[in-house]
Amino acid sequence: MRRHEVVIVGAGLAGQRAALAAVEAGRDVAVVTKLHPMRSHSGAAQGGINAAVGAEDSVDTHIYDTVKGSDYLGDQDAIEFFCREAGPTVVEMEHFGTIFSRADDGSLARRPFGGAGFPRTIYAADRTGLALLQALYERLGTESFTTYEEWDLLRIVVREGRVQGIVAIDRTTGALEEIAARSVVIATGPAGRVYGRTTNAHSCTGDGIAIAYRAGAELKDMEFVQFHPTALLESSILITEGARGEGGILKNAQGERFMARYAPHVLDLASRDVVSRAIITEIQEGRGFPGGYVHLELMHLGRERIESRLEEICDFSRKFAGIDPVTQPIPVMPAQHYMMGGIGTTIRGETNVRGLYAAGEAACVSIHGANRLGGNSLLETLVFGKQAGTAAAEYAARAAPPLLHESDLAPVRTRLDALSAKSQGEDPQAIRTAMQATMDGRVGIFRSFAELAKALEELRALKTRYENVRVVDTASAFNLNLTDALEVGHMLDLAEVITVGAIARTESRGAHSRTDYPKRDDAQWMRHTIASQSREGPKLSYSAVAYTRWDPKERVY
Amino acid sequence: MAAELLDAPFDVYRFDPAHEATPRYQRYALHLPAHTPVLTALLAIRAELDPTLTLRYSCRSAICGSCAMVINSKSRLACQTPIGPELARHGRIVIDPMRNMPVIRDLVTEMRSFWTNYHRIEPHLKPNRARPPPEGKPNPMTPAEVARFQETPRCISCAACYSACPAVEADPMFPGPMALAKLYRFVVDPRDGATNERLARIQPEGLWLCLRCHLCTEACPKGVRPSERIMDLKELAIASQGATDPGSRHALAFKENIREAGVLNELKLVRQTSGLPGMAAQLGQGLRLAAKKREILKRPKPIEGHAEVEKLYEILDREEER
Repeated sequence: MRRHEVVIVGAGLAGQRAALAAVEAGRDVAVVTKLHPMRSHSGAAQGGINAAVGAEDSVDTHIYDTVKGSDYLGDQDAIEFFCREAGPTVVEMEHFGTIFSRADDGSLARRPFGGAGFPRTIYAADRTGLALLQALYERLGTESFTTYEEWDLLRIVVREGRVQGIVAIDRTTGALEEIAARSVVIATGPAGRVYGRTTNAHSCTGDGIAIAYRAGAELKDMEFVQFHPTALLESSILITEGARGEGGILKNAQGERFMARYAPHVLDLASRDVVSRAIITEIQEGRGFPGGYVHLELMHLGRERIESRLEEICDFSRKFAGIDPVTQPIPVMPAQHYMMGGIGTTIRGETNVRGLYAAGEAACVSIHGANRLGGNSLLETLVFGKQAGTAAAEYAARAAPPLLHESDLAPVRTRLDALSAKSQGEDPQAIRTAMQATMDGRVGIFRSFAELAKALEELRALKTRYENVRVVDTASAFNLNLTDALEVGHMLDLAEVITVGAIARTESRGAHSRTDYPKRDDAQWMRHTIASQSREGPKLSYSAVAYTRWDPKERVY
Repeated sequence: MAAELLDAPFDVYRFDPAHEATPRYQRYALHLPAHTPVLTALLAIRAELDPTLTLRYSCRSAICGSCAMVINSKSRLACQTPIGPELARHGRIVIDPMRNMPVIRDLVTEMRSFWTNYHRIEPHLKPNRARPPPEGKPNPMTPAEVARFQETPRCISCAACYSACPAVEADPMFPGPMALAKLYRFVVDPRDGATNERLARIQPEGLWLCLRCHLCTEACPKGVRPSERIMDLKELAIASQGATDPGSRHALAFKENIREAGVLNELKLVRQTSGLPGMAAQLGQGLRLAAKKREILKRPKPIEGHAEVEKLYEILDREEER
C-alpha cells in the first residue's frame, strides 16, 4: 500500500493546479492520471481564457455576462469570486511561461467571444489550452511530488464518514494498487463520451464523477449539457468560437445569415445554447444543406488573418474535412461539448463527503449555471483547481491518518475477476455505441418528456445488459478491453443521472430546452438539481441558487 | 453522399512481451472510405474485429499527441493520416509501434527515455533578473518577440520526431529533436534569464550529435521543424559561447577548411576539431585509413574553379552580416 497526504486524480489544468497548490502548502502529494499529463483534454481547448483586463472592460461586466450566460442558475457569490480571480490567474500563468498572443503594444491580445460585452478572451493563437497546459506542466515539474501515470481510478474508499484513500489499476502492469490519503481531489474532467457526437476526447468518460457518485458524492445540475454550435460535420472535431470571434459567420443553404433572426444584436456571437438551437431550427425547417448541416464562412477574413489567428482550425479543416477555410465554407453541426454539471462543490472545492474535493469540468461550483460562456472553462480549471488543492491540503494537515485496509482491494478484485471469468457476455463497446445513440437521439439540444422517458427506458435496459458485460482480453498490460468495460459502466451511471434530471426539470433554461415546456420558470425552477445514488437509481433533491446583486431578467442577445 | 469504400488491408504489429517470444503481424481486412484516418480504422478493428488490439489514443484531432506510431515505415499521428494515399502508394497499411523505445504491448511503447531527455533540458522558465516580471502584471512581449519562438509552441510532445531520429538510435547522449526544439523555445524567450547557461550546457551534452537528416522535420505532425531549431541552437551556441566543443569546432573548421582549397583537408580537420591529444587518440584509426587512402596525409591542392568557391563564401559572409 502506498501512502500520501493528498491524492489528486486527473492531471489536466485543474488537477495540476490543485497539485501545485497542495505542494506549495507543504503536503506530500500524488497525482494519479489515466493519461500522461500532457495528453489531458485541457490541451484541446482552443479559443481562450477570459479576464476583464482591458481598460474599457470591468470585472463587474464579466460577472454580469456570466450570470446572464448561466440563465440565472449560476451562484452569484461563486461567479463574483471567479471573475475577481481572473486577472491574477492569467498574470500568474503568464509568469509561469505561457506564450500568449500579443497586441502591438506588448500587452496580452484579446478577442471577442460569445455572450461577452467586450473583447475579453485572452488567447494563444487557437491552442490556448495547450499553451496553458505546457506552462503549468513545466512549472509543476520544478516541484517535488509523485505521479502515477496511466493509472485508472477504480474506487474511492470512504469509511467513518470521510475519505481514506483510493484503489486504482496500473494500466502498464495490470496490477491493482491502493493509495491511502487524507484527502482526494477529483479533477478527471467531463463525461462527453456519453454522446456519440461530441467534441470531447475519447478519454472523457466521467470516471471520477461516477466513482465519486458511487462513494456518496452529490452530483449537481447534470442535465445541463452544452452543445457547441460549430463542430466539423463528420468527426465532430471542434471549430473554436474564436472563428466567429475573428469575424466568421454562419449561413444556411439559402445563403442567409440566419443568426439575424435569433440574435439581432450580436448575431453569430450569441451565447452557445442560442446559436446551437438556431442551427437545429434552420435544419428542421428545411434551410440546412442536404444531410443536415450549415456553413461557417471565414473566407472574407482573408488568408493572412485566417492562417495566423486560426492556425489549428486551418489545419483541422484541411486534414480532417478536406476543406480549405481560406477559399471554402466549413460544414458544421452542433455537437456535445461541455458539461455544466458535475460533482457539487463549494467555492473551496469541498463536496458533501469529508476529505473529498473536486475541480474543473468534473465539478459543479456552480459558475456556469445552465449555460457556460466560452473562455470561462479554462479560467475555471485554474481558479478552482487552486481552491480545491488549497482546501484539500489544509484539511489533510489536520485530518487523522487514513484507515485504508488491504481488504479494501478485495471487492474491486472480485468485480474485475468476474468481468473476465465469463465464457459469454456483452461487448462493452457495443453497449457504449447503443448508449451514445440513445443520448444523441433523445437527450440532445431539444428535449421532450416522450423522448426522455424513452431514453431512460433504453438506458436502464443497457444497464441490465451491462451487468453481463465481458472482458475477452486476458493480457495484463494495457488491457483496453477492460478499460472499455470500466468506462462504459461509469458513463451509463452518468447518462442516467443526466436523463432523470432532464425529465424532472419541466422548464427551458440555458442549454436545457424542453419543447413541451418552452419557457423559463423561475418560480419553480430557479434551483439546482442534486442527484445522489440510491438502490432505485438517482435520487433527486434541489438546492437554492446563491444571489448577490443580479435579478433574473429575460435573456436576449 | 456515400463515399466509395476501399479495400483496406491492415497488417498490425502484435506483441505481448510478457507472454510471447516474438512479435507478429496480424492481418485485418477493412472496407472504408479513402478519407478515413488510420486511427478511426484501428478503432473500428477494436470495436468490430478484435478488442484485444491495444494502442494509445485520446483526442482524435492531433492535439493530445497520444497516437504516434509507425505507418508504412513513417512515424506519424494515426489520427491525421488518411488511409487513401497510403493504400494508393503501398497497397496495404503496415502499422508498427514507434521506434527508439521498447514495446509494452502491441502499439504501446515505454516512453521514459523520451520524457527523461525532455526533463534533462530543464524545460521551465528561469526568470530573467535583468528583466523581472512586473508585479501583478504580465510581462510585456511584442508580437516580434513571440515570432521568435517560430513553430515551437505547436509541439504536442507526441514523440514522432524521437521515433524517426537516427541520432537517438545511435547515441543515448543525444536528447532528441523534441527536447532540443523545447530548449530553443526557452533560449529565445525574453523572460528567461538562463540563455547562456542553457547554451553552454547543451554543447557538450548532445547538441552536435544531430545528423542534419531532417527526418524529424518530416515526421513532425505539427510543423515544429525541430531540425531547423537545432541548427539555430548551434548558431546561438557558437555566438554566445564560441566554439567550446569538438562539435562546434568541427563545424567552424569544416567551413574554413573547404574554403582553403575547395576540398577537405582531413588531417587538418581532425587537428582543429579534436586538438593534438584528440588526434593522438584517433591515431590507430587514422593510420588504418591512411594505409588505404594515402592522399589524406597530404595537403590538398586547390580544386579547379576554386575562385568560384571563394565567391560563394563571400556571398555567405555578407548574408550573415545582414
